[in-house]
Amino acid sequence: MTRPVFINKTALLCARGNSPAAVASALWNGECNAGQRKLGERIFPYFGLPLEETDWQVRAKQALRQVAGQLGPLPPETPLFIASSSFQIGHFEQLGAPFDLPVANAAFSRQIGEWLGLNGPRTSFSNACTSGFSALDAARSLIAAGLIDDAIVVGVELANDSTLAGFAAMELLSRTAGRPFDARRDGLVLGEAVAAVYLSAKPATWRIAGLRTGLDGFSTTGPNPDGSRIADVTVDCLKEANLKAADIELIKLQAAGSPGTDLAEANALRSVFGQNMPPLISLKPGLGHTLGASGLAELAALLACLAADKIPATAGFSKVDPEIALFPMVERSTEHIERALLNLIGFGGGLASLIVERHG
Amino acid sequence: MISLTTVLSQSFAPAELPAAVRATLGKPLRRAAPLTQLALVGALACLPAERRALPTALLWQSTSGPRLETLTLLDEVCSGGAEPMPYDFLATQPAIAAAQIQSFLPGLQTAMHLPLDSQGIANWSLLLSLAIVWLNEGRCAQVLCAQLDHTADVASGHWLALSHASLENSPASLQLMKDSASEALPDTPEFPARLAEWLAGNGNQTLSLHSPVAMKLTVEFTRL
Repeated sequence: MTRPVFINKTALLCARGNSPAAVASALWNGECNAGQRKLGERIFPYFGLPLEETDWQVRAKQALRQVAGQLGPLPPETPLFIASSSFQIGHFEQLGAPFDLPVANAAFSRQIGEWLGLNGPRTSFSNACTSGFSALDAARSLIAAGLIDDAIVVGVELANDSTLAGFAAMELLSRTAGRPFDARRDGLVLGEAVAAVYLSAKPATWRIAGLRTGLDGFSTTGPNPDGSRIADVTVDCLKEANLKAADIELIKLQAAGSPGTDLAEANALRSVFGQNMPPLISLKPGLGHTLGASGLAELAALLACLAADKIPATAGFSKVDPEIALFPMVERSTEHIERALLNLIGFGGGLASLIVERHG
Repeated sequence: MISLTTVLSQSFAPAELPAAVRATLGKPLRRAAPLTQLALVGALACLPAERRALPTALLWQSTSGPRLETLTLLDEVCSGGAEPMPYDFLATQPAIAAAQIQSFLPGLQTAMHLPLDSQGIANWSLLLSLAIVWLNEGRCAQVLCAQLDHTADVASGHWLALSHASLENSPASLQLMKDSASEALPDTPEFPARLAEWLAGNGNQTLSLHSPVAMKLTVEFTRL
């Protein structure tokens, strides 16, 4: 048995707002200001959630409850798929030594289920930046096969120093701003997000036409610069969707402003789309790189943009890198989009491509 | 038909793990966290050399995750005056295990890491359900499902390898059943060890895996 899988609802809380529509509106208006996060003597730009609460656990509960409120009532037994790269490490940082980590490393997912009012089957995914699409892939595979009828897929990435310090130690962070594909790009800007997608076999506006995950073992911190593995995943995704490259009308890039990964993505896109490159956008200059939540957060934001036929310009881009020789949209567009491709390229070699298509 | 091709359980004293890697590769695996070393030793034990280039998916779960490495990182970040050592941060990222073993398993196309949220309860039923769905779709030729854990006392790996092709020595086939009346085992981290005991015995022809977090269907094993 295989059946289509639809995106019935989305929810999003991130630096740009507390609903997908609010975030889409902010992106359309060009809002891209970031806050700051201090790490020792260094200060980094950071896209924090618009929440005043300082207690980590209370703040996390507020964030999850806001997202649950956006989703509206759901049967409590709905299967829950949770994606995160850091879970509740920020809570333990706040409590301080001795660090009383739970024996089961995703114990925080039990709490997330409770806050969302869900007590059905619960599964967690932690594949760094591609966690969200891994969770989405698992959920939609089971729905398509008839093993479950619906699922909530949640991405959670909340503030913590451990991730920031780890990325900083590897010199992967920009001290100013994320500049996707730009010649002056010098690293990522991290952020927080909680995002949710309600998947179902019941028809809705957007269908998952293709979703493929992959792996690039070139390096633990970045893909092969030639982009060949990324291109393989995109081609597999197009095959699954039974589409040609020319059918794709918009690409939501992974591009976060990382010198190496942006180049690899550009090389992959050139090899798949050649001279017929669709319009490109990156949402990370407005949302930050929200790591394990980024796939779902950017999916929710993009679908809200497409629902309004308002595709935002990509902030932070102004100077073409001759090696990349591609440029994201710098002007807003009201084009009506039927099919869009979303790329993720993760720390640790994870890759993912998702194609969403309007239904009916 | 989906075939079970390998059932494997491994256990090492943490200090013995690097030696196990050296014995497997003929050389050490530099800068690899214990979960990565466990993944490598187990994956290569599951797949003979002639099957390592076949399109492969790795689905692995863990109760402990990189707990010890996370404690080290927390100590560095919260108690130290400087940023952590890059390796200490990388060791807390379990997804990296797949990237580091791909060069020894060139067919490895995708990997998912599923951290568990409750002690003593695993999610083999989900791993196996996904594996069966993906194999039936033709998405890959074989799927490795694993439970990898390491603590200060022991590093353990439990593995099930599944293939779309029936191999000569496959001990069992698998399918998803709506209602299974067969003998059932609980979904626990060491399920492969219990499955191996069942396969070694002369009991019932079929065995099912029941999970407290089960979806609609049950995974049923049939002796071949």
